[in-house]
Amino acid sequence: MAEEQNQNQKSQQLPDKGPPSKGVQGQALQPSTSYWPFALAVALSILLLGVITGPVVLAIGAVLTAAAVIAWGLERR
Amino acid sequence: MATRTIVEVPGVARRKRLEETYIGDWLMTTDHKKIGIMYMITGFFFLMSGGVEALLIRTQLAVPNGHVLTPEIYNQIFTMHGVTMIFLFVMPTLTGFGNYVVPLMIGARDMAFPRLNAFGYWVVLFGGLFLNSSFLFGAAPNGGWFNYAPLNETAAGCGNGIMCTPGMNEDFWLLAILLLGISSISASVNFVVTILKMRAPGMTLNRMPLFTWMTLVTAFLLLFAIPSLTAVSVLALLDRHLGTHFYQAASGGDPLLWQHLFWSFGHPEVYILILPVFGMISEILPVFSRKPIFGYTFIAWSGVAIGFLSFTVWAHHMFAVGLPAVAQAFFATSTTLIAIPTAVKIFNWLATITFGKISLKVPMLFALGFIGMFLIGGLDGLALAVVPFDYQVTDTYFVVSHLHYVLFGGSVFGIFAGVYYWFPKMSGKLLDERLGQIQFWLMLIGVNLTFFSMHILGLLGMPRRIYTYPANFGWDEINLLQTIGAYMLGIAIMVFFVNLIVSLRNGKEAGDDPWDAFTLEWDTTSPPPHYNFPVVPTVRSRRPFYDKKNPDIADWKTATH
Repeated sequence: MAEEQNQNQKSQQLPDKGPPSKGVQGQALQPSTSYWPFALAVALSILLLGVITGPVVLAIGAVLTAAAVIAWGLERR
Repeated sequence: MATRTIVEVPGVARRKRLEETYIGDWLMTTDHKKIGIMYMITGFFFLMSGGVEALLIRTQLAVPNGHVLTPEIYNQIFTMHGVTMIFLFVMPTLTGFGNYVVPLMIGARDMAFPRLNAFGYWVVLFGGLFLNSSFLFGAAPNGGWFNYAPLNETAAGCGNGIMCTPGMNEDFWLLAILLLGISSISASVNFVVTILKMRAPGMTLNRMPLFTWMTLVTAFLLLFAIPSLTAVSVLALLDRHLGTHFYQAASGGDPLLWQHLFWSFGHPEVYILILPVFGMISEILPVFSRKPIFGYTFIAWSGVAIGFLSFTVWAHHMFAVGLPAVAQAFFATSTTLIAIPTAVKIFNWLATITFGKISLKVPMLFALGFIGMFLIGGLDGLALAVVPFDYQVTDTYFVVSHLHYVLFGGSVFGIFAGVYYWFPKMSGKLLDERLGQIQFWLMLIGVNLTFFSMHILGLLGMPRRIYTYPANFGWDEINLLQTIGAYMLGIAIMVFFVNLIVSLRNGKEAGDDPWDAFTLEWDTTSPPPHYNFPVVPTVRSRRPFYDKKNPDIADWKTATH
């Protein structure tokens, strides 16, 4: 992925002045947004809170963590 | 994805998607600049939290026989102060700087793994909230920031005069550390790949800015040090919840295993907290001295040397536990050796400013303040490497003085140098110079008032972490002086926040290059567009932006770069 981005940088040179065209900016240069990193961090926190508070919270945290990991992996980019 | 706002588009009415709302934009962002800013805001939020805890400690200790806090709360407060300042202020703030500045400095459009980058940030935030939520349960960690075994064990691990912590306090510490470790590893992998694979054409390692160099070394340190911290925490959790006894001497375990594993993370951690600051100082001094950095190669490679040596010194934290003589000799020697590459940096910084056209703007003041304060902390460290002296002052306020000169006089001064230097790039506004000068002088006086006298207090035998002390030990006036100094530091930080608000609202426009700087982050707008650079720059020397502004005397024409 890093090399791919590097190639993008080198090949997609933009004009010296002014913003790049929306298509180039949106599709090639910007990584798309995602709420799964946020969701996975929340799920992990709940999982670890479950270690302290009890098996119910632990189980909820485990399910949410698994769901967030799978959803992140399956998300269209 | 449902939102509340309706956007009017000619002929079409549609709801805004989550990422198009202000909050959604920040929640879902993968832009390294926004993530960097979020890291820094989070860091400074926890600075306030850790700062209040510091003031509570100093208020408790201001006079003999103080009873501002109960002993139980005092233990929680001094533990949380250390954990917060190290793991939730300095580390996230430096990661924030790296996130914001490194891709710009190397001419990249973002970090290598933008989503992993966002994940790392959110884990820090929730790790911090998780840790501090322990106050709501009345069970904040209370075993000191390094949380020694067997103090961190449950009831099974204590008895016969051995203290332990049956409550949830230590569980919060252990689990929060696991979370924060996940974040550190995510950020480090990202920095390593970004720096090694995404530099602009022509930016060889030998032309890379020194802040980027030090961020790279720090990322490697984290990758090798965090596993030790994770292991030590997991073993303690197993002891506490699954009946193992890794740290229980009565059952064949060894509490010193904790110290070895913890400090094999803990000493590289000191350099994790200071190496990025070395990089910042190496960027700021040349710009405000109007000279190229002196001894670039030595500064870069001494950082690498420090990185390697930092893994060989951990047991100097443990001289007093009764190590074999050969181990004491080894760790005393390695600790002394690490002073050499550190001194190399200091001499090169001094050579950089010598005969320079020095401009004493606030970033430069903090950078110079850093050199002086860090030097005191470093020399203290050398003194503590002398085993007989270490025996005398171990676990006294001398050690507290040493670590605060390194981490406050060093890391925090450096962070403020970086904030004043790069804030114009991040916001498009200059921070107020007068308020910045007030903050600097308050901090310089405050840090010395608070921490210098701790040397004397330590030599007079005052142990660290004690809840209170009797009168007439010769400690009374010194403690009061330290409390006054601590409040000066509190005021200085408040001045900074006032400056931040005032400057964001009514600050002078910074322009793209307010300091006439040398590196690529200044070769774009302030703040930079999402894509950073309209054209990816080509680099031909260590000062690419200087070359662009001065084509006739460009470094690549006049010097070997």
